[in-house]
Amino acid sequence: MRKIIYLAVITVSAFILVQSCKKSAGSDDNGTGDKGSSFDRKAMLTNMSTNMIIPAYTAYQATTVTLDAAVTAFNAAPDLAKLSTLQNAFQAAYKQWQSTSIYDFGPAGDVGLRVNTNTYPTDVNQINANVNSGTYNPLLLANLSAKGLPALDYLLFGTGADNTAVLAQYTSDSKAANRKTYLASLTAEMKTNASTVLNAWNGAYKNTFINATGTDVGSSTGQLINQIVYDYETLKNYQVGVPAGVQSMGNTFPQKVEAYYSKISAQLVLLHLQALQNVYLGKDGSGLDDYLVQANAKYNGGSLNDAIKNQFTVAIAKVQTLTDPLSAQITSNPAAVTAVYTELQKLTVLLKTDMTSSLGILITYGDNDGD
Amino acid sequence: MPVLSVLILSHKIKLISNDMKKSFTAIILSSAVLLFTAGCKKSDTPTPEEPTPVYTVPTTYNFANANFADATTRLGMVTEISNLMKNALTGTFDGAKAKAMLTNTNAPFATAAYNTSGIQLNDQFSAAYKIDVLSAIDSLSKVNAVASTTASRGVAGVAASSANAASKYALTSLGVNYAQVFNKGLMGGLITYQIATTMNAAANQTIDNTTLVNGSTALEHAWDLAFGYWGVPIDFPTNKVGAKLWGSYSTQVDDGFKANKILMDAFLKGRAAISAKDKPTIVAQANIILTTMERLTGAAALQEVKEAKESINDNILRNSRVSELYGFVNSIKYNPKRVTTDAQITAMLALFPKSFYDLTLTDVNTIRDAVAKQYNFEDVKDIL
Repeated sequence: MRKIIYLAVITVSAFILVQSCKKSAGSDDNGTGDKGSSFDRKAMLTNMSTNMIIPAYTAYQATTVTLDAAVTAFNAAPDLAKLSTLQNAFQAAYKQWQSTSIYDFGPAGDVGLRVNTNTYPTDVNQINANVNSGTYNPLLLANLSAKGLPALDYLLFGTGADNTAVLAQYTSDSKAANRKTYLASLTAEMKTNASTVLNAWNGAYKNTFINATGTDVGSSTGQLINQIVYDYETLKNYQVGVPAGVQSMGNTFPQKVEAYYSKISAQLVLLHLQALQNVYLGKDGSGLDDYLVQANAKYNGGSLNDAIKNQFTVAIAKVQTLTDPLSAQITSNPAAVTAVYTELQKLTVLLKTDMTSSLGILITYGDNDGD
Repeated sequence: MPVLSVLILSHKIKLISNDMKKSFTAIILSSAVLLFTAGCKKSDTPTPEEPTPVYTVPTTYNFANANFADATTRLGMVTEISNLMKNALTGTFDGAKAKAMLTNTNAPFATAAYNTSGIQLNDQFSAAYKIDVLSAIDSLSKVNAVASTTASRGVAGVAASSANAASKYALTSLGVNYAQVFNKGLMGGLITYQIATTMNAAANQTIDNTTLVNGSTALEHAWDLAFGYWGVPIDFPTNKVGAKLWGSYSTQVDDGFKANKILMDAFLKGRAAISAKDKPTIVAQANIILTTMERLTGAAALQEVKEAKESINDNILRNSRVSELYGFVNSIKYNPKRVTTDAQITAMLALFPKSFYDLTLTDVNTIRDAVAKQYNFEDVKDIL
């Protein structure tokens, strides 16, 4: 009712303004316009949540349950077989994470799922300080770089030259008990966070998501696109660019790759990029591709959707030239890795600039380049 | 009285949602244009004593007798001090020189014109900031002395962002970047203090608007200086080149709070009204600027919350951004016409952990929510 009154006031005011005074350029027209407005965003959001987001969280949560159980079993009686099982569980979780990290809004945003799960490079000094002191406060932001998958990567693969040496850290080492406790804290936290987010999506949040059908900053489409582009930039910059030295004038940082110790970095980049492509396409259902087609978005005279799809294909082919260990490839052939980065960068422009402007979506995150 | 109805609307604005607010802002601005634009024939019942003066409000700050050179010079001095503070990253920060720059003593500036300008920063500061600025410089000097040490929890020194090794920050043992505390304090203790003081005097009509000195009245000149302190080009926000300090921040928060337009419109209308001796309009615009400057500080704080979150897993960069956040909240106390009470400022500052290394996500969200509530930004708290 109040809305109707306000609307009436606005309408009447606008009418009076137009009638009475030609110089009334005072109204604040900041609208980017709702482009492609006939597109059924609710159908897209329904497809995304039902066929992509919830399945991703379901699968990821299951890997954290397996991982946590593997830690429990390992801690009870550490041996090489259980270490191997645990390492496999870790790798399965890391692989599944590549198609789960994308949706860091809503429930995931509330718990800070992305930064709690995958802050890398991990801080070995902080991990060792936590292990040595036997105290660990998971709430401190200062511990973000000492937890999650990257910390496990170090603890399970990087604490010794081979599995026998790693195992010794959990058996004969003077801090073995502390290290086991720390391991258990980390996987328990991951399981809790994954379960919290999954439960929220299986509960009320899915409906909230599907029904916030606008394109403004708080809308589901706005948040989804922001996070897709952000997550894509994370891939481009941190999984590839920064280790290959693109931000440091060719000075490489091979140890900054994701999954440095377990040496599955290149595999993860590919899985991540394929996952992003899948989200863009909405798998087999309504996705951003359909949205751009509906909005009749153009790029260099052709279809923007075609340009993006093509660049995904080109970039994936390039990423397939990366080899594990990626850190070794960066050291031996950095040019090959920066060539991958170049193709990834082209896709950034298409997604971040062309796609968002075609759909009237505002990018709300800043570039993380300091002041 | 049309002006009265505008004021009632702007009061009412606080009770309604943000989307509505945008519309109402539009109405207010449009109504204002209606009232003040020459050639609007449909005027309301004429006020018997004082007929509404007829004049044109320009779209840029190009008033013939405008002069805000002194404010521009002072902002330039601020830039030199901020640049000097970067030396703390290499242990070469000269605190005595920074203090000499405050009082323009012994030709401390690289820009020769500043040295011979005959003006200084220090006599423009709020009384409280005059004291606090010295301790901010001293605190930075202490970190400067240990610049070769890598900053970490409990250890003062210099450290790099984990995301970008080229971005370095000088932090105290508690993680505080005093170059930022200085910078944000100055935005409150110099700029907001000056603008608020002038706007309060304009609203109370205590500045002479009759006698011409160097081609303008005292009120015209004071208003010009206030505009100059904002730090934007005269054709802002169409042109944003060179916008600095508050001019930069009003742009950074523009997604959620249209301070650029609100302030520019008010500065233009108010200045035109001053020359036309249109007192009710002068008062109305001065009040808009007063209210907006205080909310802008809250918006800037929320912008820093957002930046801190964007660097949440980067201990050094996050601490620097939290220092900016702290600096903004702390700077509110320098605004002489603030609505925020001392107790409210204290309560917000108490939400920060003693060591910024002890910050949690809950802390960040609690600070965000407290600031958003204080300045009525709850609907846009995550996008400012």
